[in-house]
Amino acid sequence: MRRYWAGLALAATTAVAGCGLGEADQGSAAAPSANLAGEVKGRVSLQTWALKPKFTDYMQGVISAFEKKYPGVKVEWLDQPGDGYSDKVLSQAASGTLPDVTNLPPDFALPLVKQGMLLDVSQADPKLSDEYVAGGLDAYTYAGFQGVYGYPWYLNTDVNYWNSELMTKYGLDPKKPPATFDELVAQARTLKGKSGGKVYLMSRRPELGDLAEAGIPLMSDDGAKFTFNTPEAAALLDKYRDAFKEGLLPRDVLTDTYSGNAQLFNEGTAAWTTGGGNYITSLATDNPTLAPKVVPSKDMGVPPLYVQGLSVSKRTKNAPAAIALARWVTSAENQAAFAHLVSIFPSTKASANDPYFSKSDGTNAGDAKVIAFASLAEAKMLQPVVVTDAMSKFVRQQFALAISGDISSKQALDAAVAKCDELLKN
Amino acid sequence: MAAHAKAGRPSGFNRIGAGEKALRYALLLLVLALTVSPFLWQLSTSLKSLDEDIYSRTPSFLPEHPTLANYAEVARTIPVWSYAVNSLVVAVIVVAGNAVGATVAGYALAKLRFRGAKLLLGLFLATLVLPGEVTIVSQYVTVRGLGLADTLLGVALPGAIGMLNVLLMRTAFQAIPPEMDEAAVIDGATVWQRLLHIGLPNVRGMLSVITIFAFIGAWDDFLWPLIVLTDPANYTLTVGLQYLNGTFIANPRLIAAGTMISFVPIVIVFAALQRFFFRGVEEGAIKG
Repeated sequence: MRRYWAGLALAATTAVAGCGLGEADQGSAAAPSANLAGEVKGRVSLQTWALKPKFTDYMQGVISAFEKKYPGVKVEWLDQPGDGYSDKVLSQAASGTLPDVTNLPPDFALPLVKQGMLLDVSQADPKLSDEYVAGGLDAYTYAGFQGVYGYPWYLNTDVNYWNSELMTKYGLDPKKPPATFDELVAQARTLKGKSGGKVYLMSRRPELGDLAEAGIPLMSDDGAKFTFNTPEAAALLDKYRDAFKEGLLPRDVLTDTYSGNAQLFNEGTAAWTTGGGNYITSLATDNPTLAPKVVPSKDMGVPPLYVQGLSVSKRTKNAPAAIALARWVTSAENQAAFAHLVSIFPSTKASANDPYFSKSDGTNAGDAKVIAFASLAEAKMLQPVVVTDAMSKFVRQQFALAISGDISSKQALDAAVAKCDELLKN
Repeated sequence: MAAHAKAGRPSGFNRIGAGEKALRYALLLLVLALTVSPFLWQLSTSLKSLDEDIYSRTPSFLPEHPTLANYAEVARTIPVWSYAVNSLVVAVIVVAGNAVGATVAGYALAKLRFRGAKLLLGLFLATLVLPGEVTIVSQYVTVRGLGLADTLLGVALPGAIGMLNVLLMRTAFQAIPPEMDEAAVIDGATVWQRLLHIGLPNVRGMLSVITIFAFIGAWDDFLWPLIVLTDPANYTLTVGLQYLNGTFIANPRLIAAGTMISFVPIVIVFAALQRFFFRGVEEGAIKG
């Protein structure tokens, strides 16, 4: 909701800005983008998202090395708090104070691309695809817009996490966790029977991403319409409906009181969750006694790809330095150093052979890192960036109706596709 | 004035049986448990040490190894005190602005006759209809235009006179019988004298209500200060505490400790003003 209003406000103010309320350079959006070639010097600003204070030393190191490499350049580093980042970026964009280089996930970058506020970095950098993995670059290409609107930075994906204690206690083998959806349902049945319904294996309601994970194309190739009302999708929803009817999922999974499968996993109510490569590390802070009992395994379908990137403002006054800085921060060496601090993965091709990512240190967190890294090769962005909160909400409601058995899966999918197409046109 | 009317008189109306009394207390305790338990959970989380589980099926309120280390860690991670001072500066400007501005404006709308008073009231009401998110960007552009971006004054200014507070004060002033004003006019009192000597003593309760609302609003606001402020040194407490919730690391114990730190001043303000607050809530009848 917040983002919706903020987006609306952005559109409104950019319209207003043309009437002289905004900065003087606001009207120059249509002007040819800043001069790309030139010497790297002067001031350049960099904005990251919630990396302080944990990664302050790392970022300072990267920045001072950049300043050392290009004498005469001065980087101003801003780190924004985690909450409200999308609102902050939109207000910066609307008032002409977007930093030269900004950390934007692909969905946050979309409204700025639409308003022509980001630089097409593929023009500045024709060799982009030699250096960065295709999945990362794809994330910053948008249907209907020519070019690439960000340097891919770090990547992550999801790994399955199992509570080995609960599995052993209730007749399952944590060494052989389910590898397909059908096995998942079968094991959920065993767990439910042995635990008397106290513990669940499945605690996730299906959303658009789950359809994509099962290999169902969500949108047409040109991104003009949604296509997920296929028989395969209906069959998957049917399986969920049967599992729900059998009581294999918590009853409140379809309602808004549902607290999420990670929360249920942390509480020990559910024995399965999915999470990024660094999940066990953060769990060790939340629930130190649970973390050692967690066993990771590979994602059951197409693993999701999560991308962070650095975009360059089109109105930057110092394009050469901004591009050099974005390249520098996303370079293979700097990303590898970052990945040694926390379980994220570099978006550079040169990092693929780094043994650090393919060898576990023997801990379950290390295993998860290796599994996640192997999954990245096949990982895809599951949810298209054009999917808005309103679309997700409608899809969720339709899926809930189908799973509770009120309407057929086919009806639910058809209604969801029709509504999403309608919202897409607006 | 009101005190001697109530003092020491056994109230025949309020006599209730023991059973009903027990029921009332039981219900009150239930509501108390419902409203207070999230705070207690935060408090107990903030006191838990690193080797204790935070999330469990049955939440445990008593930390096994209570520690104040989380509070120390919060203070070490972020400059809590300077953030708190920033928050306080904003809160003081907002409270002062509302106490003075809303009082004066409310008095004018309630008691003075001037051309366009109705229109003005309508405009005041109209601004209440817009959700804050819609105006936030244009508000930011305005504040930037005034050269107040990244300053605490820029954070405080838009909230310095709340329209709702003006309406509340207007209602409070309207409750004063017009005869009192007329008598004062005959005695030769000016508008300011009437505001100070007749108006204000009768609206003290409502004044404390808007003081508390303004304080809580300014102290708790997150989105607006986040948008206005750029330099981390200027952050208010709510924005600064977000640094505890990093991209990869979010220790719930530290977040809980931070929440407690920001919660304490609100308790203090409320405790100091609650005597007036409850008078303000039940205000309406004027006791001569």
